[in-house]
Amino acid sequence: MIYKISDNIISSLGFSSEEVYQKVKSGISLGKLHAGVFPGVEPFYSSLLNWEAVNQETVKLFSDGMKYTPFEKIAILSASKAIESAKIDPSSSSVLFVLSTTKGNIGLLEENGGYEEERIHLWRSAQLIGRFFKNPNEVLVVSNACISGVSAQLLAIESMQLKGYDYAVVVGADVLSKFVISGFQSFKALSNERCKPFDAERRGLNLGEAAATIVFHRGEPSQGDVVFRGGGNRNDANHISGPSRTGEGLYNAIQNAVKEVDLSKLAFINAHGTATPYNDDMESWAIERSGLSNVPVNSLKGYFGHTLGAAGILECIISAHALADNTLLGTMGHDTFGVAKNITINKETKTCCNLMFLKIISGFGGSNAAICFEKLG
Amino acid sequence: MEKKYIHSVVRITNNQLMHNGELLLTRSAEDSSWPVEMYRGLHLQYPKFFKMDNLCKVGFLAAELAMKDVGVSPETEKPDFSVLLLNSTSSLDNDISYQQTIADETNYFPSPAVFVYTLANIVTGEIAIRHKIKGETSFYIQEKFSPATLSDVAELGFMPHKGIREMLIGWVDFLEDKCDVLLFRISVNPENSISEWTDEEVSRWYEAGVQKK
Amino acid sequence: MDSLILELKEEIIKSLNLEEMTPEDIDSDAPLFGEGLGLDSIDALELIVLMERNYGIKLANASEGKSIFQSVRVMAEYISKNRTK
Repeated sequence: MIYKISDNIISSLGFSSEEVYQKVKSGISLGKLHAGVFPGVEPFYSSLLNWEAVNQETVKLFSDGMKYTPFEKIAILSASKAIESAKIDPSSSSVLFVLSTTKGNIGLLEENGGYEEERIHLWRSAQLIGRFFKNPNEVLVVSNACISGVSAQLLAIESMQLKGYDYAVVVGADVLSKFVISGFQSFKALSNERCKPFDAERRGLNLGEAAATIVFHRGEPSQGDVVFRGGGNRNDANHISGPSRTGEGLYNAIQNAVKEVDLSKLAFINAHGTATPYNDDMESWAIERSGLSNVPVNSLKGYFGHTLGAAGILECIISAHALADNTLLGTMGHDTFGVAKNITINKETKTCCNLMFLKIISGFGGSNAAICFEKLG
Repeated sequence: MEKKYIHSVVRITNNQLMHNGELLLTRSAEDSSWPVEMYRGLHLQYPKFFKMDNLCKVGFLAAELAMKDVGVSPETEKPDFSVLLLNSTSSLDNDISYQQTIADETNYFPSPAVFVYTLANIVTGEIAIRHKIKGETSFYIQEKFSPATLSDVAELGFMPHKGIREMLIGWVDFLEDKCDVLLFRISVNPENSISEWTDEEVSRWYEAGVQKK
Repeated sequence: MDSLILELKEEIIKSLNLEEMTPEDIDSDAPLFGEGLGLDSIDALELIVLMERNYGIKLANASEGKSIFQSVRVMAEYISKNRTK
C-alpha cells in the first residue's frame, strides 16, 4: 500500500503542517488587500508569505554557495522539513522526487536578478532541487495548471506502483509575481475581499503563495496512517478556460478515483472551491452527479487563497490532518449557500468521525482530478 | 507489462513536417510563420487555430495528422483516450509575449487572450476539445527529450484502472521559432499498427527529423 | 459613426485574431456573441481590454460588457458617448 509518512507546509500561516493546521482549525487567515507590492499592478487581496522569515530559515540550509530564487527556496525548505521528519535518505535511488508548479521562476522575466539564462526553465529548478538533496533520479515537473498538485501526487504514486520506488517526495510551490497577478486580473477573476466559496455572493478568487510537500512510502501502514485509495484525471474537452457547465470531466475523474472505494466511509469532500461563479457551480454538478450530495464539502481557499501549484498538495495535507484529528473543517468566507446543485457545504469547523476524504480539483485546459485517502482505523 | 503499438507518428522540426515517415511540407522561407504555413499547407478549417499560441498551434497540427486515420470523426466522444505530452520550455514562448503586454507601465494592458496560453497544458486541452478526448490529459517538463521517460509515461497512461485504450503521446516544444515535435498515436491494439512501441522505435522516429549536416 | 464602426471591426479582427475575416464579413447589427463570429468568454475579456486601450473606457467586469457587446453598432454608440481618448 502507498501511504503518507510525513508532510510540510510553508505558508502565510506558518512553516509546519501542524502549526498551519491548528491555525486553520481556529479560523485564522492572514489574507489582506495588498497595494504597491508589484509596481503597476492594481491592489489585490492575497495571503503572501513572510519572506523575511523564509530567508532566515533558508540561510541555515544553503551552505553550498548556490544562489536560489524565492520559488526554489520555499520548495527546498518545504521538502527538507518533510524529508527530515520522514527520516529517509533523499540521496537514495529508491526515492523519487516530483515537482508541481505552474509558473516557477516566471518573475525572472520581469527582473532577471543576475541568474543564468536557463533559470527561467521549470526543469532547471527541478534539477536544482534534486541536486540539493543529491537525488540521482530526474525530477519531472508536472505542469497541469491548477490541478498540478493532485496530478503530481498521482504521477508519484503510479510511478511507485509501476517502477518500484520505495519513497516519493512530492513538492508543490508557486510564488506570486506581477506576471501571475496581472493575468488573473485581466481575467476579472480576482475578488478584492476575502473569497466566498459556494456563496450566493461569490465574486472571484484570492491568490496565495505557499510550498507544500508530501512524502509517500510503499509498504505496510499502521493504524492511523493515511493511505492512498484511488485517483483520477479526466478532461472536459469543452473550453480552455471555462469548466464544463455540467461538471462532466470532474464527474468522470471522481468516478475513476472512487472505483474501488467504499463511499460510506467518506467523511468529507475537500473541493477546489475557488469562489469563482463557474467553478463552484460546476463542482456542485459533479458532486451531485456522483451521488454525494449529502457528504459534507469544504473549501480551504478562504484560509490560504489559491496557492496554484501548491494547492492540490497543501489542501490534501490539511485534509489529512483534519481526518487524523476527527475534525471537519469549515469553509471560511462561506455565508449563504448559492450554487446550482443542492450539495452540503460545511460552514463551521466541527468534530467528525468518518475515515475517508476525497480531494477534487479543476483548472485551465479543461483538466480535472480527484484523489481519495483513508485513515486506517 | 502490456504491449503498446504505434499507429501514427508526426514529426515537426524547424522546417519540415513529416507524417509516418513521409515528408509532407517543407518551410518556404525563414521569415514565414511556420505554424501558419503548415495550417495552410494542410488545408485545414479551424478558425480557432489563429487564436492559439505557437505551442498549441504545432501541437494541434501534429494531432490533426495523428488522428487522421483514427477511424472516427473528431465529433465522436472518446472517453477512453488520453493526451500525454512533455517538453522542455513549457509555455515560455508565449510567456515572453504575455510579459510584453505588462512590461511597459505607460502601456500596461495585460491581455487575457495571451495570458490563457501561459500554461503548457493548454495544448492538451486544445487537442482534447478538437477531438472530444475525455480521458486523462497531462503535461510534464524535463530538460531534454527522453525516449525512456516517454515510455514510462505511456506505461503509466495505460495502467489498467484508468481504462484507457488509446492515446496521443509525445514531445511538443516551441520556443522563439525553434520547433521540436514528435507525436504518436498509440494503442494497446496491434491491428493496423506501424510497429510495436519500444524505446528504440521512439528514438528512431525522433532522429528521423534531425537535420543531417 | 460609420468610420468608427469600420475602425472597430478592424480592431476586433486584429485583437481577437479573426484571421480569415474582413470587416465586410461582420454585420454591424448582428450579435457579436452566440452565433456568427463564434466569440467566447476570453474574447469578451479581450474586448474589455480593447475598450480601455483604444478609447480609455474602463469596464469593471465581463457582465457589464454583455449589454455593450451586443453588436458592433451598439459598441460604437457606447464608445462615442463614453470615450476619454
